[in-house]
Amino acid sequence: MTGAARVLDRPVARVAPWRRRGLRRAVTFYLLISPWLIGFVLLAAIPLVMAFLMSLSNYDGLNLEYVQFVGLENYLRAFTDPDAQHALGRTLLLMAVVVPFSLALQLALALLVNQRIRFTSLFRTIFYLPYVIPVVAAAWVWKIFVDPTGGLLNALLGVAGAAVNVRWLVEYPTVVLALLTIWGAAGGGMVVFLAGLQGIPAEYREAAMIDGANRLQVTRHITLPLLSPVIFFNLVTGIIATLQILVQPMLLAPGILGLSPGTVPPRDNYLYAVHAYLEIFVKQLFGYGSALLWLLFGVVLALTLVLFKTSRRWVFYGIEP
Amino acid sequence: MSRRRSTATDATLRYLPVLVAATAFALPLAWVVVTSLKKQSEFGSSLLPAAPQLANYQLALSLLDFMKFATNSLVLSSSYALIVVMVSALVGYGFARHRAPGRGRLFMLVLATLMVPNLVLFVPQFVIFAKLGLTNTYWPWILWALGGSPFAIFLFRQFFATFPRELDDAAEVDGAGPLRIFFQIYLPNAGPALAASAIFMFLWVWGDYLYPILLLNGDNTTLAVKMSSAYVDPRGNPLQTVTMAGVVLYVLPLIAFFAAANRFIVRGIVTTGLKG
Repeated sequence: MTGAARVLDRPVARVAPWRRRGLRRAVTFYLLISPWLIGFVLLAAIPLVMAFLMSLSNYDGLNLEYVQFVGLENYLRAFTDPDAQHALGRTLLLMAVVVPFSLALQLALALLVNQRIRFTSLFRTIFYLPYVIPVVAAAWVWKIFVDPTGGLLNALLGVAGAAVNVRWLVEYPTVVLALLTIWGAAGGGMVVFLAGLQGIPAEYREAAMIDGANRLQVTRHITLPLLSPVIFFNLVTGIIATLQILVQPMLLAPGILGLSPGTVPPRDNYLYAVHAYLEIFVKQLFGYGSALLWLLFGVVLALTLVLFKTSRRWVFYGIEP
Repeated sequence: MSRRRSTATDATLRYLPVLVAATAFALPLAWVVVTSLKKQSEFGSSLLPAAPQLANYQLALSLLDFMKFATNSLVLSSSYALIVVMVSALVGYGFARHRAPGRGRLFMLVLATLMVPNLVLFVPQFVIFAKLGLTNTYWPWILWALGGSPFAIFLFRQFFATFPRELDDAAEVDGAGPLRIFFQIYLPNAGPALAASAIFMFLWVWGDYLYPILLLNGDNTTLAVKMSSAYVDPRGNPLQTVTMAGVVLYVLPLIAFFAAANRFIVRGIVTTGLKG
């Protein structure tokens, strides 16, 4: 075998053992990642192609015999569907309120529990707890908290002398949804900010203090710029998560009996993902619903891209730790 | 004197905001516990229970076959977590330690799948599962687990990339194959990553409402689905107090689990720190 190789080409013969080793390594690599690769093909690639084909058809989820190719009809329909427009508007409004407020709160909480104070681990746990509580339980927490008669919120407002019989889930459902979202997401973002804060060397702050900077100036000119990659990360993940909110509005629907897969939330909480979900699983419009979901994916991608473009101006990747 | 006052204001400034925030975060949770201890007649009429009604907890366990659905949730969550963590660790080890053409691009693909909205993938998966007769079984979760989780794969790749390469070389000289290296060197030293990802994968299934409500029904379903509707008395009136007791029972094991696992994670970091 070495003889044949020598006849063909001398240098190849010299690298052959390496190359054989490289091949063996490549085979090993592909064998090791094969569970993911097979899973990716069967559970992601094929479903994605199916989802795209579905969005171009009138598929109803049941009968393949009646499936027809309808071209871009589903996509065009989305642009004239008043429910889709209403839902998109509500979703963007929720995002515009929840994301900035969440970011500010998460950063504030991280700064608070990063101080040299007692019981920090207790405080961290309290802020983190809502993040790990299952969504069904979290919805109950807020339903009972804002209950018109049995809730604490109206009781507290009553002590303060305000109206005491507010039916929050009926009159202000989006306020409750926003509170649930902000409360539930705070701990996750706080931990990421905390990790970022602890990655900033203390010398930077000390040096600025020696130069006469006060705490506010240190936060504004040292901490915030060095945290900007973390702020950017939390901003992008926050936006992606908020645009896809689906089960919370359904679980917060007023009335606590007989919640079903087809529960329709109040109009104010009728979000985009809810609309797509109901079109698919209740109205059996798999084709139209899939088109709605692809449009959502498009919005998510477009927003992420825009953020990445603007990030060059305000995200500071200056220092290597 | 002015100095003393300034330290006092300093302490107030440091503790007041964090106390206010912690109270605001904990109040809604505390209210669930308070409500769970009330008589149903006290709900909406008195702020605090006259005497704690532990009977609500007994009712929460008996009005619904709580233990059966808790077992369903436990079986589903732990089998998913166990499989997905093992698979993701193996795949993460492959990405971290084995070179091959296309590795970089495949890893980008792992990350790209994180960007796709869940429902976009789930709708066609739902059609496939229905056609294969896998609805109302736990097979969808097993299949998802066998494919690994992009999030956990990413975590394990980052974690294993920090391991010293000399370990592999030494083991390879001794004639160990990649699987043996994975099981005897990488896995035993991955305590913190294993614990953290197992907890999050477990939590995801334990807390998930959407997939079980669409894929399972009746006796097969999970506690999350059962907990989404209120408990009722025989006449069909809602029992908010018993429902809150059920919610506490639904959440409590998670908190206990977290507390127990927390120690394990710390220990894992300590041991790997010593060994590294």
